Amino acid sequence: MYEFRLYVVGQTPKSITVVDNLKGLLESTFDGHYNLKVIDVIENPEMAEKDNILATPTLLKSSPPPERRVIGDLSDRKKVLLNLGFTIESREIRKCKEEIDC
Amino acid sequence: MSKRILIIDDEEAVRRSFILAFEDIGFKVDTAESGEKGLQMKKDSKYDLIFLDLKMPGMNGVETLRQIRKNDKNVPIYIFTAFHKEFMNQLRVAAGEGYDFEIMQKPMSLDIVSITKHILEKSGVC
Repeated sequence: MYEFRLYVVGQTPKSITVVDNLKGLLESTFDGHYNLKVIDVIENPEMAEKDNILATPTLLKSSPPPERRVIGDLSDRKKVLLNLGFTIESREIRKCKEEIDC
Repeated sequence: MSKRILIIDDEEAVRRSFILAFEDIGFKVDTAESGEKGLQMKKDSKYDLIFLDLKMPGMNGVETLRQIRKNDKNVPIYIFTAFHKEFMNQLRVAAGEGYDFEIMQKPMSLDIVSITKHILEKSGVC
């Protein structure tokens, strides 16, 4: 199971767009085999500091290792996946979709 | 054409750090020591990115954000603040009012240059 944490600023128009874009990307890429936690830095600044978040928005892939992070508006799907260590043709993603429990 | 950045911060050391960090790699950096001055500079020039300190005497960061957004809803604005609960109340109000902004942690990280390049890459110039 892929674990992600997305750090954003509240419910600003841009943050809502970032969350929606990311959910679309994760759903189409991992077909439900992922967990996404959206964290508002304003409400949880200590969690952001603990995760060493430098700026919003930041997407953090915490599992499986290695940890990867992407900073930006996350609208370029190919770039996001690349920075997370995947390619569209990644064997890892195909394998995840084929297995019942990943 | 070089990307143009505006830094609004009352601390001279911070403004100088930005100039050193970014002019070395080809960005054009303008600085302002107050929200009022920053607002005037924003009216006079076009910027690709604005860094804004939260706590400043006179017009603070959130009020400066409000004034900038009156005339420009699109320029990316990063507000610098420590990630502590005590500093979040003002930001909560601004977010609740529907203003678009992002947050960058203070003190400034050494990664700020690469982060900024990544942010501006969306505009296709970096």
